[in-house]
Amino acid sequence: MSNLATDPLFNENEVFISNASNQEEVFREVAESLYKKDLVTEDFINNLLEREKNYPTGIDMSVVSPKIPNIAIPHTESEFVKTRMIVPIKLTNSISFHNMIDPSKEFDVRFLFMILNDDPEGQSNILAQIMDFMARTSENELVSFFKASDPKDIYSFLNRKFMQYAKDND
Amino acid sequence: MFKILAACGAGVNSSHQIKDALETEMGNRGYDVQADAVMVKDITEDMMKNYDLFTPIAATDLGFTSDVPVVDAGPILYRMPAMAAPVYDAVEKVIKESGKG
Repeated sequence: MSNLATDPLFNENEVFISNASNQEEVFREVAESLYKKDLVTEDFINNLLEREKNYPTGIDMSVVSPKIPNIAIPHTESEFVKTRMIVPIKLTNSISFHNMIDPSKEFDVRFLFMILNDDPEGQSNILAQIMDFMARTSENELVSFFKASDPKDIYSFLNRKFMQYAKDND
Repeated sequence: MFKILAACGAGVNSSHQIKDALETEMGNRGYDVQADAVMVKDITEDMMKNYDLFTPIAATDLGFTSDVPVVDAGPILYRMPAMAAPVYDAVEKVIKESGKG
């Protein structure tokens, strides 16, 4: 497995628009779909729920710009996934997450980048690529992107930006 | 060599980003640094004795006390120089005080 930074991290068929109203609901919705496609193991959902409870993954974007919604990067230990990709999940309802770098704090999140990573030693760090996307994309583009409600638009924008930043980093 | 233990919940994403960032930045600052990335739940008192610095994502209760210095490295994850700089400076301070690196 090469895991070059420019390898595609998104799949057009794995982009979700969720009407869930809490963490467990959205995690179960997405995990069930991923399990049916053999992208994760049967225990993925349990590890996902347990990890989020003990080691939350909310990222406060208000420190970057108050116009950009907060995100979360839910993920499991590598043994519970069978691929290496990012699953974008737009939340039509805000869902509360705890802050990854200060778990005592809680805030509303509008978008999830669920990370499936069966190769943590791979050359390119998936989380670093997500944060590069958040830090390097202009505020106007991000505001527009987070309003998108068509999975195809979400996929094409993310794919284009991630490929662009990965090439810039080469 | 100065040894750093980076840790996160899954040992997959965040800790590896911290490891890569600290090795790169401290290397650029002229220090000989090696970092390992692990799951918080796998850290033992004996393991910790092999390291000069512990850099979790957030304040972490390991269930035991340790004399190893701790620098919370979470802000590095933002990939923004202004947020990472205080973490890097704190790490560099510990390296200097240790006489290693």
